Amino acid sequence: MLQGPSIPEEQRQTLILGVGNTLYGDDGLGVRVAEELTRHTLPAGVAVEVAAVSGIDLVLRMDGWKRVILIDAVQMGEKPGTWHCFRAEDVRYLAGGQTLSLHETGVTQALELAEALGKLPEEVLIYGVEPERLEITEELSPSVQAAIPEITQHILRELWKREK
Amino acid sequence: MNKRIDVHHVTRVEGHGNIVVEVENGKLKTCRFDVVETPRFFEAMLRGRPYSEASHITSRICGICATGHATASLRASEKALGVELSEQSWLLRKLTFHGEILDSHVLHVYMLVAPDFLGVGSVIPLVNSHPEVVLRALRMKKLAGDLCAMVTGRHTHPIAMTVGGFTHFPKMSELEAMRQRLIDSRKDVEATVELFAKLPWPEFERDTEYVSLSKPDEYAFIDGDIVTSDGVRVPPERYKEVTNEFMVPHSTAKFTRNKRESLMVGALARFNNNYNLLHPKAKEAAAVLGMKPKVTNTFLNSAAQVVEIVHSTEDSIRIIEELLNRGVQPEEPAPIKHMPGEGVGVAEVPRGLLIHHYAIGEDGRITAANCIIPTNQNINNLEHDMRAWVPKVMHKPEPEMQLDLEMLVRAYDPCISCSVHVLKIQR
Repeated sequence: MLQGPSIPEEQRQTLILGVGNTLYGDDGLGVRVAEELTRHTLPAGVAVEVAAVSGIDLVLRMDGWKRVILIDAVQMGEKPGTWHCFRAEDVRYLAGGQTLSLHETGVTQALELAEALGKLPEEVLIYGVEPERLEITEELSPSVQAAIPEITQHILRELWKREK
Repeated sequence: MNKRIDVHHVTRVEGHGNIVVEVENGKLKTCRFDVVETPRFFEAMLRGRPYSEASHITSRICGICATGHATASLRASEKALGVELSEQSWLLRKLTFHGEILDSHVLHVYMLVAPDFLGVGSVIPLVNSHPEVVLRALRMKKLAGDLCAMVTGRHTHPIAMTVGGFTHFPKMSELEAMRQRLIDSRKDVEATVELFAKLPWPEFERDTEYVSLSKPDEYAFIDGDIVTSDGVRVPPERYKEVTNEFMVPHSTAKFTRNKRESLMVGALARFNNNYNLLHPKAKEAAAVLGMKPKVTNTFLNSAAQVVEIVHSTEDSIRIIEELLNRGVQPEEPAPIKHMPGEGVGVAEVPRGLLIHHYAIGEDGRITAANCIIPTNQNINNLEHDMRAWVPKVMHKPEPEMQLDLEMLVRAYDPCISCSVHVLKIQR
């Protein structure tokens, strides 16, 4: 079970947030990647958390971190299991200026609100994975399951690259 | 006069619901709130699982009411298995429950309701027009989240609550610091009351049967009898006598009714039924907001939430002071007295009465589960409110009429979905 950050505020570098609900099939993929990451050695100042919470809470969770890496299910109309690493700017562009109400209190809204409040971290990366099955099950679909090691390795490289 | 309002997915509510209203020749023809999703799946998910997992599974039904679901779930198992909580466990359960009430009510009144009255479509433009309001809401929300995390080890999905008690205990220094932060937050709470006292609440009266929990000596959030403003009182085990679920074709949620055509749960029902047990400061806030029971204006459900923000802040301070005086000792969870068993757990979660009913077999696995969610109980009442509200607003242009109807829906603070985050990108 993933714990909250035990890193003192002044040492906080990168927060990795697995977003989603493990009861809802592939929506839980962000949480699974986060769990996988905790099995590896991470650079100092990196915390891994999970967030099955509303957008407002994401704003509060991101506050105080230099960099945030989000992992979430993103419906892009691609082959299930396909993943991309977006920057915060890309996601806003892709979301196409849809009404950012709190209807689905999700990631785009959280980013917009954080920006409006001047609380957006310097760098926000979003690992978006195309889900196959969004329904009530605790199992990931095979296509998404297969993508998890790749995403985990990519995030680990991103983290250590910045240490050099 | 012909009008048609068809709002596909009302915004600023948790989940998906549609408003369908048709007015033909000045007469109301159709009036529905369609629920297009349902959280009732988890009963099947609970069957066959060990009772010890139930609170962790059900707390994931919702990213807002996680503590509420976990609490009702634990109470169901505890009653089924004859578990008696210690006084310390009760204090901690109540304290973290207040944290969630604060967290959820602040989200609803500031982020979901206030934009309607401050003339903006969502909270984002509110940052520019009323930055102090948004920052205050975030401060209050942070405090509420930290309160939950202090008691249960993590904000949102509590990990330290278990059948019989807790597996983690707050330190005295943490309690002392939290007490001070809550005291400091009184100025934010006061400003909240002032802000909402100034809002032009729509004029609308429709009396209904208000249903809530009730306890003789406290404003009930966990346990108690189920009471109604029409004089019904039953123990939780007889909940079916009040909820009377029935199905309608246009909704995937079950509807409820009791003495009248519909019933209402939530902050307004609690306020009406348990006003006398509110903290004195909460009663003062109610006076500032112009509220005295029985309040029959549904829009004031949000104002009742503001009153409860005051109550939960003050009662949290009281509980922390009691914990500081008596000291917090790590203790083993209270023992299970028998197995198998059957029990009903009830809690007044932010949106109203939540019921978890479990049967637990000899091997400790759940053999049957029933969960009744506040929003399900309210939807029938919402439709009856809409029928009374439409004739008052149907002379307005359609966009204004639509907003009026959406505001009525939002007054219920409906929570239709679970904490599913799916980002949809159109290409």
